[in-house]
Amino acid sequence: MIKILFISENNSQIDKFRNIFGKNLYDFDCISDSALLIDTINGNIPDIIFFDAETPNLKDLNKKIKQICENTIIIFLVNEKIDKELVKFANAFVTSDMPEDLITSTVNVNLRMKNALEMLSSSNKDLADSLYRLNALYSTSSQFAGTLDKDKLIQYMIEGMDKALSFSLTSTLSLCGDEPVLILNSLYELSDELISALKFRCVLNFNSIFEGQNLDIETLKVIKHVKYPASRFTFTLFQYDNMFAKISLGDTNFGFVEIFKENSFTPEDSTCFQTIAQQVALPLKSATLYQELIETNAKLEKLERLKSEFISIVSHELRTPLTSIKNSLDILGSGRCGEVTQSAEKFLSMAMRNVKRLSEIINDLLDLSKIEAGKMDFNFAPANINTVIGYVKTALSEVAKSKGLNLTTDEAENLPETQFDAQRLEQVLTNLVSNAIKFTSEGKNITISSKLINASDIQINDIFKPEIKNLSGDYIQVCVADEGIGIDTKDLLRAFDKFAQIENSLSRKAGGTGLGLPIAKQLLEAHKGAIWCDSELNKGSKFYFVIPLN
Amino acid sequence: MKKILIVDDEQDIVESLKFVLETADFTCYCAYNGEDGLRLAKEIVPDLIILDVMMPKINGYKISRLLKYDAKYKNIPILMVTARSQEEDKLIGEETGADEYITKPFELDEVVKIVEKYLK
Repeated sequence: MIKILFISENNSQIDKFRNIFGKNLYDFDCISDSALLIDTINGNIPDIIFFDAETPNLKDLNKKIKQICENTIIIFLVNEKIDKELVKFANAFVTSDMPEDLITSTVNVNLRMKNALEMLSSSNKDLADSLYRLNALYSTSSQFAGTLDKDKLIQYMIEGMDKALSFSLTSTLSLCGDEPVLILNSLYELSDELISALKFRCVLNFNSIFEGQNLDIETLKVIKHVKYPASRFTFTLFQYDNMFAKISLGDTNFGFVEIFKENSFTPEDSTCFQTIAQQVALPLKSATLYQELIETNAKLEKLERLKSEFISIVSHELRTPLTSIKNSLDILGSGRCGEVTQSAEKFLSMAMRNVKRLSEIINDLLDLSKIEAGKMDFNFAPANINTVIGYVKTALSEVAKSKGLNLTTDEAENLPETQFDAQRLEQVLTNLVSNAIKFTSEGKNITISSKLINASDIQINDIFKPEIKNLSGDYIQVCVADEGIGIDTKDLLRAFDKFAQIENSLSRKAGGTGLGLPIAKQLLEAHKGAIWCDSELNKGSKFYFVIPLN
Repeated sequence: MKKILIVDDEQDIVESLKFVLETADFTCYCAYNGEDGLRLAKEIVPDLIILDVMMPKINGYKISRLLKYDAKYKNIPILMVTARSQEEDKLIGEETGADEYITKPFELDEVVKIVEKYLK
């Protein structure tokens, strides 16, 4: 029914309009005493007000009407002349001598216009609401993407729901931590009784979702956040509209959330609520995996440390009895206990050779475990690499000579000094040259060379390229080149792996521990340098290492 | 004859050191733990001490420090024997006052050479 209010002191006018609008489509009412006007419209806002322009205090009354019902159509009933000031307030004008059809059509046109405007305004409001909600969803999902902390994710979820839905209370059960926690985010303070009721409700929800599992109400931890603690919620809270969502991904359950609001939730609210609850599940899953990863890593690190410690302890325990064996052999070999026969000497020297080998293995194991445990002490000092090359050449030239090998050096002149641990690099170079001597046959050459090189000119073969990155600036490069048996391409990388050579019968024959190259690799990494190898089977090998020129 | 005190909880090692040093005409006294070692050092005031690091009761570093801070014994050369164990690593860097270090397993002839360097 379209409500029409007619305001006039003129009874004949009233009768005329009652005749027109007092029919079934309209709900016609009239007032002749303008003092009653405000009370009348206050309780029952009309769609259309006809206002007799002859009414006293017309403009004041009109102002008051506009304050109460701004969307009501106001039509003035005038005589022939229209007061220009009224034009500002009027939706339309009619005259008392206008034909009835014209008056009703004026009313209908205005009604249609009013409906159209109302629809437009309501669509606009819906659009603004959707936009706001979309923004809330967007900012919430951005927040989700920014953290791997499960508690924060749950907090962001609740904040997101508050932004999008302005709830009165949310009751969230989080199963993310070590124990279940009930998080209550409330607009107003909650009494102990109300909290107990909410806990009970949570347990009931839990039991209905997770059949066969139990949530102990006595030990359930509650975290409460109250926005306005001065006011208080009562049990009428449970008469509010509510929504419920499970937070889960596949078989993993992170809990559930229940939300209460004084006004009813719309279907859009429900979609938005479910979307946020679903959106949080994936980052929660990632956070769980991330946490597991960190824990596994910590375990692995601990294992690695234990392993290093174990090696260190075992090495120490091996070293002491080895010393006793070695000392006894030395005493026997020295002839202090009586003359040593030729065959006895053969077996004594066999035993001594193997004691030496065992002792080298223990030293290597210790070195490696120390480096890996980060306990190796380095003594970095400015020095010239050519000095180290000189030492190694002097130390090993006799051995090389005895095997009929030609050990030469080719050092770059005027190499600048750089920071390194001379003792450790001597260890590396000794290992490389000893290997070259072991695996090269009589009459062949072994060359140690050094040069200054820029990172862009360093040539590393495809096998080692993925391993060696981040080289930049100037380096000092040392190369040990031999004409020995070489290493098969498929074994090249493995040569730098711990224990790789232990399986290799060749290395066993040559008496290596298989740890020399892995140790060299670690020592050079500690120098921020690198080591690699070019090799061709039966042609020879070239081992390179570089250290940065500060 | 010059007196040498050997302190090591490994009897076999003490035995072999004693054998070669006696062959080289030194008189040897032996102790098998730190406490006895320290007591014996003060009692006989040897010309040189061969001292193991890791020992029960008092470790070698501590004995060395105690003797080197004492005017009566500070001139006795100390040859420290280490097995490069983890416990020893932790102690490295501490001022021990030892005159020489040697790592297990060592060459007996080298020990004799070092001893002779100090005592002849």
